[in-house]
Amino acid sequence: MKLYVPHVGHMEGLRSLLEGSDDIYAVYMAGSPDYIGTGRTNLSAPSIEDIAEQVEYAHSKNVKLEIVLNSSCMGGQQLSPEGYRTISWYFDRLNEMEVDSVTVADPYLVEMLSRDYDIEVVVSVLSFVDSPQKAMFYEELGADTIVVDPVVNRDFQKLEAIKESVSCNLKLLVNEGCLYQCPFRYAHFNFFSHANGPGPKPNVLDDYYYYKCLSIRLRDPEQIIKSPWIRPEDLPHYLPITDTFKIGGRTHFINWILNTVNAYSNQHYDGNLLDLLDSIRDLREVFEIPNSELDGTIKQWENCSKNCKKCGYCKRLSEKVVRVIER
Amino acid sequence: MTIAESLLSVRNDLERKLREMLGIPVFLAELDAFALPCGCSGATINIRGLRVDDVDVFEEHILKFIDESAEKMEMDPFFVFARLIPGTAEIASLNIRMLCDSCYQEFGRIEGKQPRPDIYVLRTA
Repeated sequence: MKLYVPHVGHMEGLRSLLEGSDDIYAVYMAGSPDYIGTGRTNLSAPSIEDIAEQVEYAHSKNVKLEIVLNSSCMGGQQLSPEGYRTISWYFDRLNEMEVDSVTVADPYLVEMLSRDYDIEVVVSVLSFVDSPQKAMFYEELGADTIVVDPVVNRDFQKLEAIKESVSCNLKLLVNEGCLYQCPFRYAHFNFFSHANGPGPKPNVLDDYYYYKCLSIRLRDPEQIIKSPWIRPEDLPHYLPITDTFKIGGRTHFINWILNTVNAYSNQHYDGNLLDLLDSIRDLREVFEIPNSELDGTIKQWENCSKNCKKCGYCKRLSEKVVRVIER
Repeated sequence: MTIAESLLSVRNDLERKLREMLGIPVFLAELDAFALPCGCSGATINIRGLRVDDVDVFEEHILKFIDESAEKMEMDPFFVFARLIPGTAEIASLNIRMLCDSCYQEFGRIEGKQPRPDIYVLRTA
């Protein structure tokens, strides 16, 4: 099993991470927001030199290093001559320092990377590959690896169909705690892409999507259960699809990352499931979901019809296992 | 009791009361006491899961809880308002503000429940 592990982006963090676990196959971190940016909240802005130093260190520990440049919206700048030159220059630098892989969301960047560089091209979750057809499109563009949209994490027929349709590698994001079929998904990632990209950066007081995401789940905890996370114990069920799993959470502290790595590498976690999810942290201040009480749920989700109103399984399960933490 | 202990106690107490009344596990993400350069002071209660309809229906009760909280923090809740995300039902914070003379002139003239798209007034000065 190969675990891709989030890294906050500075050398001190990388040292702590790699000294803390022997189960890390690769780490991934954002690049500099001055060039492409990233579709998720990001804490670091590593310089070219910072990344080069960290690549060298990771390789000395036999760990691969991936740079995530998965902005879902660049406002068309990437298609301008100036944008192309800037992005090419940055890719050149990443290539020179022997970064192992680069994750991008924009199909244009997938093709550009695959044609001109000898770097593993990874299609981001933010390309929303949720069908065999979309996977085939991206493979044709040059993808070496596709991180499948977690929306299909509990749709095994779809996962198997994607697997059968392409020969490139597949990777599954195991602990994204986003809403299932989230209506804010595209708008929120586009907002983050601008907030964590080259600019101009929006002057936003309140992140509406964040507030709404939390509010919906506080008022309807069933939505936490319906999020397509994969429990550590359930990884073996996914091995026919892939042996490569990605843990989300590059804004978390090292001890949180290591705790999550340990849970997934041991395929066992004895505690609150929300401890492991890369989601709004406030959720685990409010709710407790004993992970052990979810044993066996995968059997239901392996055959999930996605007709929630008719089925009601997740609703009943949430009433049974989701507890409000009293203070 | 120290200021910090008082804030912790008020946060827990207010969250519990609101949850019991609404039947929703609203989350008081942060309770801050503040002092501004103009002379205003007060408290900001950052809250998640509370919506305008809740405040509209339970305004009297919420004000009572706010008054009880303010008393424990030794504040006079002259001016109490909710801050909204404009154009939505979501409430970002409940706010207690003890107004300075200058701001009293401004806020004292507020009319109506929603003088700005981001403000819902529960009590005017």
